[in-house]
Amino acid sequence: MTEWAVELKDVKKAYHTGPIEVPALRGISLRIAPGEFLALAGPSGSGKTTLLNIIGGLDRADTGEVLVEEKNLQLLSSGELARLRLLRLGFVFQTYNLLPVLTALENAEFTLLLQGVPVEQRKDRVQTLFSEIGLAGLEDRRPGEMSGGQQQRVAVARAMVTKPALILADEPTANLDSVTATALLQVMEELNRAHGTTFVYATHDPQVMERARRLIHLHDGQITSDVTRAGHAL
Amino acid sequence: MGFLLLMKIGWRNLWRNPRGTLLTALALGLGLTLLLISLGLLDGSHEQMVNNAVRFGTGHVVVQPMGYQDSASAELLLPPRVVSTTEAFLHTEAMKHVLRGMSPRLLASGLLSSAANSSGVNLMGVIPKQERAVSLIPQRIVEGNYLNDDQQSGVVIGTELARKLDVKVGDKVVFMTQAVQPTGTDEADAGGGEMQSTLLRVSGIFRTGIQAIDAHIIQLPLPEAQALLGVPGRVTQVAILLEREGDSLMVAQDLQKQVTGIPVEILPWRQSMPTLAQSFLLDDAFNYVMNGVVLAMVGLGILNTILMRVIERHHEFGLCLALGLRPAQLAVMIIGESLALTALSLALGLVLGLSAQHYFATAGLDLRWFFESSLPTTLVFDPVIYSRLSLARIASSVGIVFLTATVISFYPAYKAARTELPDALKVF
Repeated sequence: MTEWAVELKDVKKAYHTGPIEVPALRGISLRIAPGEFLALAGPSGSGKTTLLNIIGGLDRADTGEVLVEEKNLQLLSSGELARLRLLRLGFVFQTYNLLPVLTALENAEFTLLLQGVPVEQRKDRVQTLFSEIGLAGLEDRRPGEMSGGQQQRVAVARAMVTKPALILADEPTANLDSVTATALLQVMEELNRAHGTTFVYATHDPQVMERARRLIHLHDGQITSDVTRAGHAL
Repeated sequence: MGFLLLMKIGWRNLWRNPRGTLLTALALGLGLTLLLISLGLLDGSHEQMVNNAVRFGTGHVVVQPMGYQDSASAELLLPPRVVSTTEAFLHTEAMKHVLRGMSPRLLASGLLSSAANSSGVNLMGVIPKQERAVSLIPQRIVEGNYLNDDQQSGVVIGTELARKLDVKVGDKVVFMTQAVQPTGTDEADAGGGEMQSTLLRVSGIFRTGIQAIDAHIIQLPLPEAQALLGVPGRVTQVAILLEREGDSLMVAQDLQKQVTGIPVEILPWRQSMPTLAQSFLLDDAFNYVMNGVVLAMVGLGILNTILMRVIERHHEFGLCLALGLRPAQLAVMIIGESLALTALSLALGLVLGLSAQHYFATAGLDLRWFFESSLPTTLVFDPVIYSRLSLARIASSVGIVFLTATVISFYPAYKAARTELPDALKVF
């Protein structure tokens, strides 16, 4: 196991709207250990999504170093980044997380199929995860036939099924009611404990922040606080 | 790896909006349908025009002296052994189901006079029974009767000529011409070049609708024509009518082998009637341009539809890329989706197109309504066009539509492959 799941050194990122430069990250340095359950909190525009995108290789930093499992993402080609995402990372997005034409099972095994995992192994892994997170019996349902909470759990299953080193979730509970949101967070926590997978999720919901063992506050693209809670240790 | 999944996603995506998919498939299918109808009617009308033209002209294949095509000189006559060789070849077992008829003809020009008027004419000396099997003139007699093998005299003329000479069936006319001096013979020996004339009785009047024939062609029995021109036993050409136009070239080539070394030209109709062949080429070219326009219009419509589908799924493509799908795989997925749509369209187009083709092949496309009250007297084609579509035509039409649709799908596929992260993941 590597020392740090993620390591960021003075990462800066700005977006350009015509001639106007809008800074999104203003020199972020951060280390995330394997197995952490970390929340990025902050208001809209604070840089949470940008930071997640850069850690996940979906976007590139303007300057600084981004190391995921000791690989410097700044030096990887877009093809190598795609391969890293496929093999080592998992994603859960805020909404429209699933492919509407595929069933829950097909959505969950999507990345396994891309990896070329044999059919029996795929089914086995997905069924096991579905049982673990309460999705058993919903395998053949299409996204349109499931509730928002169920859909997000399928997305978590899809992120987990490849046994990634790191799962990045961008506001995974934003469209869920509080009960469903809590249930989803519980599922993520249990998977984190059971499999030791690193979870980094962005949220601006105080209730959801409370579940994190480490909470980083962002404001205007800078880290304003980084707190590891006692009693939440693994 | 993952290919089947991409195809599965592509196929299912088609059915997210079944009505839209069916309408798009129908649009492309109608493109194929129009192509099949248009080509079927074009080929059918060409076939009918060829069938008429060869029967008013030189047949599917003509055997004539070398140089006759360019000079039309009456002095050029076929060597007798060529006629006998041709007859023998055409009556072999192999030609039994290929040959429909053959007619030896003696051709010359002269002056036909009545009490009222005179007119320059082209004489055709024919064997009536054989001419009936080849030419449509015997079928177009509108007054009197066609020539008879038992009758060694008489002449049939066209309506235009009859009007000009002011003659009717039973009237007498005088035909005047110069005796033929066959190439290679001595004028004094053959008596060639001397003016000859004969009194003929009009036995029948025909109307083909073709001005050049109705005003200038006269037919009389071959022996009488040979006697008049001073060339007993000689003919200018042998016109051959086949069961199928497609055999023309083959028969011409096989026949050519039989008379190797003899100065004759054996021409399929495309060479003996080059103007007609060229008019077909022009017709084809115009039709291809029109079909191209139709296909381009249908293609642009489909491009728009597929492009809209791709743009609508921008977020999904972003999701796929985020999960590790490569841009090339995304492009394959879109092309697969387009190909599935094309396959559906082709199936629809074939069903509709072949049904329409069957209708037009059996009932025909009746153009008589176009002429309102009556058909023009100069009409040389059948006003009911029957569609004819070969397997090769169907295959090439399907191929063209398939190719068009495939090429069209490249741009949306390229567009999908160019989906940019993380912009595509933004939720507005």
